[in-house]
Amino acid sequence: MNATTCYFVSAMADENSEVARGLRRRDPDLLDRLIEKYQHRLLRYLVSLTGRRELAEDLFQETWIRVLERGHQYDARHEFSTWLFAIARNLLIDHLRRKQPVSMDGLAPDDGPPFDLPDTGLPSALDWTLRREQNEQISAGLQHLAAEYREALVLRFQEGMSLEEIAHVTGAPLGTVKSRVYRGLSALGPWLKGARL
Amino acid sequence: MTADLHERARVLIALSGPEGVSHAERSWLTEHLESCASCREYAENSAAAIRLLRVNAVTAGVSLVATTQIRVRERARELQRRRERLWMIWACTAAVTLCAGFTTAVMWRAVAWIGQQAQLSTPVWELAFVVLSLMPTILAGILLLARGTHLADHNGSYQA
Repeated sequence: MNATTCYFVSAMADENSEVARGLRRRDPDLLDRLIEKYQHRLLRYLVSLTGRRELAEDLFQETWIRVLERGHQYDARHEFSTWLFAIARNLLIDHLRRKQPVSMDGLAPDDGPPFDLPDTGLPSALDWTLRREQNEQISAGLQHLAAEYREALVLRFQEGMSLEEIAHVTGAPLGTVKSRVYRGLSALGPWLKGARL
Repeated sequence: MTADLHERARVLIALSGPEGVSHAERSWLTEHLESCASCREYAENSAAAIRLLRVNAVTAGVSLVATTQIRVRERARELQRRRERLWMIWACTAAVTLCAGFTTAVMWRAVAWIGQQAQLSTPVWELAFVVLSLMPTILAGILLLARGTHLADHNGSYQA
């Protein structure tokens, strides 16, 4: 490990420790900062999993309440985002269990529009339309995948997680994660033809 | 070229990333892609799919973030109040336990002294001590049952 890598690893560990200490104290200012920092990533993950914005927003709020309540359980040796996503995932599974006794397979494609448009302004109407079409195509493609493949792809390519981190979030063995990424990507390919950048 | 080699190449393409594929595997993949048109096409399609996934924008609205922050703060205050109440209960329990221990010791000596003065046998004054100790609890229990505030609801019926 070279000096630069050491520096970044050490800085990350310090940041995680600081987060862990703040969570043990239930520091509301820290939680405000964390909510702002992870808002888009967490919501994107939940929207990708559920395919429903309203449900994702409910779970988004519940996730942060759970983070507050269970903050003392966070282990600073792991990335905070990994722990956060694992909590969100467990809440979703709990929600599905309450609804009906199923696993994440219960996340079948929905009839309604699966994803919302980005809030950010876009340069032109044409760009906006193209972007919207692409988003719709990706969303439709993702929603046709099995939930476990969809989750693996979202965590890997949208959240940029390592395979080990995905294994930690999903509780699946590393080999299974690799297989899900490969199979998910292969299954997604045909849906995205014609939606090229 | 066997199907296994193509399969291996496609797995490596899907897993390619900073930690997904080793240097040796990457070299092998590069060589394979130079000679295999179908895997090259697969790689291009995969790269395009990954690019699309990365630009898929879902953003949290300002109101969602604000509502979440307010809810989290409210819950934090509630937990804080609960913790303070719990601390108060523990402190009261500790004080009551101490007082009960002290009172029991004093009462024991007092009842023993009275028993000796009245020339009662040991089992008799010991029994008297037990009855005396339990009397407040028994009386309180009877009173609560009589008023119907403990086991009964507003209609006076038992609630499971």
